[in-house]
Amino acid sequence: MKMAKPTLTLPQYIFLIHGVQMGVGVLTLPRETAEAAGTDGWIGIVLSWVLATAASLIIIQVMKNYPKGTILDLLRHYFGKWIGIAGTILFSLYFGIMATVIFIREALFIQAWILPRTEVYILIALLSIPSYLIVRKNITILGRYSVLVFFMTVWMMIFFIIPLKQAQWLHLLPLLKEGWQPILDSVGTALFSFGGFEIAFFLYPFLQKKEKASMGIVIANTLTLFIYLIITIGAFVFFSPDEITIYNEPSIVMLKILEFRFIERLEIVFFAFYLFVISVTVLPLMYMTVYCTSQLAGEENHRRHLIWLLIIAFVYVVLVPPTFDQNKLLQRLIEQAGMVLAFAFPLCIWAYLLILRNIKRRGN
Amino acid sequence: MRQSRLVQASLFVFLAAMLTGCGSHVPLEDLTISLILGVDLDEKNNLVISESSPVFNQDAKQNIESYQLKAETVRDSRKYFDALATGEVTAAKIQVLLIGKRVLEHEDWFPVLDTVYRNPTFSLNTRVVVVDGPVSDVMFYVPPDKPQMPLHLKEVIDKNIDRTRAVISTLQVLHRQMYESGMTPSLSVIKKEKDVEFTGVVLLDKKGKYVDTIDAQNSAFLLILRDEKKQELTLTIPMTSLGEGGGIFHKNQISFDVSRVKTDVKTSYNKGKFDFKYQIAMTVNVAERLFPAGRVNQKELEKMIEKELKNRLEDMVKKFQANKIDPIGLGIHARAYQYEQYKKVKPHWDEAFAESNIDVSVDVRIKSMGAVN
Repeated sequence: MKMAKPTLTLPQYIFLIHGVQMGVGVLTLPRETAEAAGTDGWIGIVLSWVLATAASLIIIQVMKNYPKGTILDLLRHYFGKWIGIAGTILFSLYFGIMATVIFIREALFIQAWILPRTEVYILIALLSIPSYLIVRKNITILGRYSVLVFFMTVWMMIFFIIPLKQAQWLHLLPLLKEGWQPILDSVGTALFSFGGFEIAFFLYPFLQKKEKASMGIVIANTLTLFIYLIITIGAFVFFSPDEITIYNEPSIVMLKILEFRFIERLEIVFFAFYLFVISVTVLPLMYMTVYCTSQLAGEENHRRHLIWLLIIAFVYVVLVPPTFDQNKLLQRLIEQAGMVLAFAFPLCIWAYLLILRNIKRRGN
Repeated sequence: MRQSRLVQASLFVFLAAMLTGCGSHVPLEDLTISLILGVDLDEKNNLVISESSPVFNQDAKQNIESYQLKAETVRDSRKYFDALATGEVTAAKIQVLLIGKRVLEHEDWFPVLDTVYRNPTFSLNTRVVVVDGPVSDVMFYVPPDKPQMPLHLKEVIDKNIDRTRAVISTLQVLHRQMYESGMTPSLSVIKKEKDVEFTGVVLLDKKGKYVDTIDAQNSAFLLILRDEKKQELTLTIPMTSLGEGGGIFHKNQISFDVSRVKTDVKTSYNKGKFDFKYQIAMTVNVAERLFPAGRVNQKELEKMIEKELKNRLEDMVKKFQANKIDPIGLGIHARAYQYEQYKKVKPHWDEAFAESNIDVSVDVRIKSMGAVN
């Protein structure tokens, strides 16, 4: 049974990357940046965007060296079998832990905000079913899903504009309150929320029009930047700078004041929709995990691996009932690993490939 | 294929058994939906929590049930309410939170409301209203000629907000003002005389302790200074320079509807003091004038109104400074424009506010004198 090779159109590629970036970070981003730099934190987000875009472009440059395959094939091609295997293991561990952590966070959020009396493992079991149905197929399906979810949820941004009628724009002044140092500190946290573009390592070979890869990834990063800026600046002018760090998820609390004649407690409805946004982070990560592991096992089909991944996640929450703190700690750790994979790793490989090409040229 | 059918079947059974949410559903009639929550202190300074909720039952004579009891905390009170009320007591729909003035007479009362912010089921749009007197007077009052108390109260407060007389004081706004270092909190206040009526705004210091009350007209001035005019703003003031305020029909009164007001604050810092220069530009329509037309022409009238408003606004600001409270939020301006200086005085902004120079200038333009001359 030989299927046509799955491909990605440009929008699918853009929204896949953008979707993985969005994730759960946006709920806490206003607080985290405010903790570092007060209401100047948004400048840190813009700086992070510059760094993330630069790293994204480097990834595309790296992948141009081996357009037929993913980063795993590239590693095997240039560095030999064993480094290829080591790379595959590292990537599958990274994606696997990241996917599980955010998957569990999704369940924790549902429990905290919508279904307080339901156990986390039940939510995990229930979430596993649609996850399985989408991830079992190929990357094209995931791409279509990301596009669908983006357009299904983008209207939610309107709800971040409405609370601005209570806004106090003076909170943003003066710019550069304490100089550049706190802003650079806030880059440290804001950069995490741009993590996710490294899946371009795996998407590139599937992209139909490879010459648009750089443009696509810049669009994806910029889209993420805009959404982050709307939410962060919105929260900065809505909350007092002395108060914003008290809320765990300021982005949701902001929505709690929305109230129409026909509907109250809009944040619950909003949250139900937000689950889709989290799912476009989790599902591609799950796909990447099982893609790596099935490559490792030399299997064509990744379904069996996916079932195992979901079972492991389920068993994990049954054995170690998750808490927010523990989950956040894990996320912090894995994100730091992600920084290495998303920034340092492509830079090193890029430099190596450049040197290699120069040596070859000189040899000729 | 038999194996996959087995998997499907067991999955189905598993899911059916787990159907989440269906096990703990509660029908609406079985809920006791608190619409008002009251926090007060009794004579011996015990915390007293009260709540009021509608009764969805035809057999009940009254369509509202109210309880009041002593409890250690707000959350703690729920177990006593559950013991008293028919249904499960839920806090998700609380419309109005009443706080007794006795509570505000002690500083640091704010942590009592912790659960309201910590628990996601509470709505942050709940209006916080101070009761001048015991909360129970309002809670147990059943007006014969009005809708249920919670709805009535909410409408009264909201209407006065629309008419720029009451400050917006939802739980969210209160939280912001309590934490904001450059502003002190202010809340709407009601009083039970013969009826329950809205009487004005209470001003608290930065620890939440009661300082002063201002009436509805002065609340409008406060809102002008904060640049928070809502849908409608009408002022009625006597023209003292026309004399003869006495008599039965106060003949020097004029009322005008402010159609546009723009409040600008220029912030500067010199000689160790903050300097705030208010420039308030108003466009008004005269709605009522008890003195005859020939007395003053339009230009003179504009000047008179300006002078009158300036005096009142300056008096009010002076009173704030004497009391060391900043309900206008000038600290926010100081932070935005004089950050270095503000940073030094941030922990005791109230002192710096009391010493700062505040200058008000009003510019009134009469757009129309109305339908009669």
